Amino acid sequence: MALHTGTPSPASGPPPKHAHGRRGALIDTEKLAALLAAIVGERGVLARPSELATYSSDGLPGYRLRPRLAVFPRTKQQLIDVVRLLARERCPFVARGAGTGLSAGALASGEAVVVGLNRLNRILSIDPVNRLAVVEPGAVNVTLTRAAGAHGLHYAPDPSSQTACTIGGNVAENSGGPHCLKYGVTLNHVVALEVILASGEIVTLGNADGEVDGYDLLGAFIGSEGCFGIALEVTVKLTPNPQGVRTLLADFMSIDAGARATSAIIAAGILPAALEMMDGPTIRAVEASIYAAGYPADADAVLLIELDGLDAGLDADVRLVEQHCRAAGARTVRIAANEEERARLWQGRKKAFGAMGRIAPDLVVQDAVIPRTKLPDVLREIAVIAARWQIQVCNVFHAGDGNLHPNIGYDSRNEDESKRVGFAMRDIMRACIDAGGTITGEHGIGLDKLEYMPQIFSPESLAAQCALRDAFDPERRANPGKVVPVHSCREWRGA
Amino acid sequence: MSTALVQDRVRARSTAGAPLRIAGTGNWLDAGRPVRGAATLSLASDDAIVEYVPGDLTLTARAGASLAGISRATGAEGQWLALDPFGASTGTLGATVATGSAGPLAHTFGTPRDTVLGLEVVTGAGEIVRAGGRVVKNVAGFDLTRLFTGAWGTLAVITEVTVRLRARPERDETIALALPSDDDIDAWLAKLLILPFSPLALEMVNGPLARALDAGDRPLLLARLGGNDDSVRAQRQLIGALGDTAPVPTSIWRALAEIEPSGAAVARVSAPPSRLRALWSRLAGDDGALVHATVGRGIVRTIRPSSGAAAVATWFERIERCEGTHIFERLPADSWSAVPSRVNDPLSRAVRDAFDPARILNRGILGELA
Repeated sequence: MALHTGTPSPASGPPPKHAHGRRGALIDTEKLAALLAAIVGERGVLARPSELATYSSDGLPGYRLRPRLAVFPRTKQQLIDVVRLLARERCPFVARGAGTGLSAGALASGEAVVVGLNRLNRILSIDPVNRLAVVEPGAVNVTLTRAAGAHGLHYAPDPSSQTACTIGGNVAENSGGPHCLKYGVTLNHVVALEVILASGEIVTLGNADGEVDGYDLLGAFIGSEGCFGIALEVTVKLTPNPQGVRTLLADFMSIDAGARATSAIIAAGILPAALEMMDGPTIRAVEASIYAAGYPADADAVLLIELDGLDAGLDADVRLVEQHCRAAGARTVRIAANEEERARLWQGRKKAFGAMGRIAPDLVVQDAVIPRTKLPDVLREIAVIAARWQIQVCNVFHAGDGNLHPNIGYDSRNEDESKRVGFAMRDIMRACIDAGGTITGEHGIGLDKLEYMPQIFSPESLAAQCALRDAFDPERRANPGKVVPVHSCREWRGA
Repeated sequence: MSTALVQDRVRARSTAGAPLRIAGTGNWLDAGRPVRGAATLSLASDDAIVEYVPGDLTLTARAGASLAGISRATGAEGQWLALDPFGASTGTLGATVATGSAGPLAHTFGTPRDTVLGLEVVTGAGEIVRAGGRVVKNVAGFDLTRLFTGAWGTLAVITEVTVRLRARPERDETIALALPSDDDIDAWLAKLLILPFSPLALEMVNGPLARALDAGDRPLLLARLGGNDDSVRAQRQLIGALGDTAPVPTSIWRALAEIEPSGAAVARVSAPPSRLRALWSRLAGDDGALVHATVGRGIVRTIRPSSGAAAVATWFERIERCEGTHIFERLPADSWSAVPSRVNDPLSRAVRDAFDPARILNRGILGELA
């Protein structure tokens, strides 16, 4: 489309005169694009359908929604100006980082504009003494860990997508990762946020002093999936690299045995840095791929266990872990002899999704959490569900905290198969809820899991969540339609 | 008191716009600002442990469950709730979460916001709301759990709490080191902060506090070391390089938690660890105050026993001059007017209005505008 030039700067010009109403007439798209271009430059605004295709899906197959426009600020001030323009025009928007999300949370439709943050990717400061870093929201997770490495530090949350995903996206999703078992999730590592609310107001949540007086609005913001505002700057804790690391691989002839070993290790008082399980189908997918990690291809389960900390004492814990694995029926327990072997064992785990992707055109990476002691029961139930719907489920997950990732490879062009995958997902979610679990541990609700929210929260509890959103964004323009089903957001005030 | 009864009470008060004071065993009744004209709703008798699955390392208890009771139940399984807030161990889980209270163990395990997995509450509007869940990882929905934790009961009455537990370390021992002179403390702290391990707790205490703890009369560092035999031995050696160490009974931590005399004024100042020395030299030298610092978190806590308005005023001024975040736990009633409220910003006010529209819960405790 042809962008108008010479439009007065929206930051300085008088507010445009429009019939503003909650559902009133919105500014037309061409005009909005011109106003946005006046802030970020013409190359910072995408409007053509072909250009917007990339921004019509995220890491989860099955959803395609085309945004009205996509805008890419390159500076903090541009981002502020964009959000304030959208506020004046009452235009809904969806913040988006790298688009690696797995819940269709960063998709925009209808009147909504995608605000792409991936160009705001700088690490603004690293304070090695206080172990703090300040980054822009589009900074890629692993670049922070690399930059901090010079000081013997790293950023602890390590989602599988860490080579692409952004810190701002991690804040929105409260992302985890394998090492969150010991080190905690994003919530535990962000100390302060500078946020622009949908209204255009800028607020600071939390502080670098570490203690917060007043309401924990920082905690409330983290994991709010882009519905509470957009982070302008993120202050995070950095974690010292451990003195020693030991990585073990134990293989089992049944998933049950692997689950028993998991429980025994945790019950023994050992807190591994990570404790990951992969089942037989996953092992074989990995071993057949370029990411082959040397997992025993005939095993029905492997545990990848990492211990870290002070060198002294690690070997005693390694022996204990090995004993518990063998007592639970492990055939072999291998300890990575060097960094190269360790990296290889981890590559198999981190690239397991990619390996599965080779087998089928589409892959649904699911996410649910159950109490750890229910692992054997629920994994058996998932196998029954897979057989019922004649689909192949690969389980690769964070066993230590009961965070399941049942993955289903399929062909979305096959309508019958797609339907069966949908039914199987629904049954798997039900099984996890019935086991006392929850419907997502790190991927978020987005659009994908809206339908399950009433299964785990009462109408009053959902309405309370809406009330919190309304405190941050009374017009519900930030990532509209996500997280809480719209019909739950009744007026609830007053008993 | 069952959740339904709490709901009845809150609804009745909410309709009448009449304030309600929420209480556990009373540890915190003289903390925060004075609560204005309120009937008391006590949750202390609702003290059951609802569910404890040792294999999951999670526990769900009613708000009135005491920390001591939880400690007994979990201790039998070699586990603990790794929260050691200041005050008597008869204090309740509900109050600990509502006040966001933590102690020296927060150095390793964080504060209630890092430990609470789920809550059941009755909001100020009288709605029963469940937040979070009973699993250790959960991002389903907006995080009301964090919002209600540390809100001092001004948004909702907490009726039930699910927490994450930890396995108790195989060894748990405490050693003391004398602090170096003021001139050397910078270099010493720098070394302490880059030790290649994290003690369970690392707390500096000033001379008067050491005396009150019956641990000599010189300023000390208390290091609580946890792990297996090999690890604790190595930790002891590493820390021994910073000065002569002496073993101290683990009971010193309970003594520290309960050291503050009734009627004392108590405040915390926090800053990034690099500013700890400045904070420490300004606050710890106050001979009339019992002062300790959580080293890794950069928090200095000062306890001024009741000793007349002039002494408290001097103490207060000393704190006010410190750069950092000031949190006053307990003050003489007339001192509060000098402390700005942290919940009077528009966003906090909107949050309060969303959950407690008549502002009946613990009215005034955070200095909120009426």
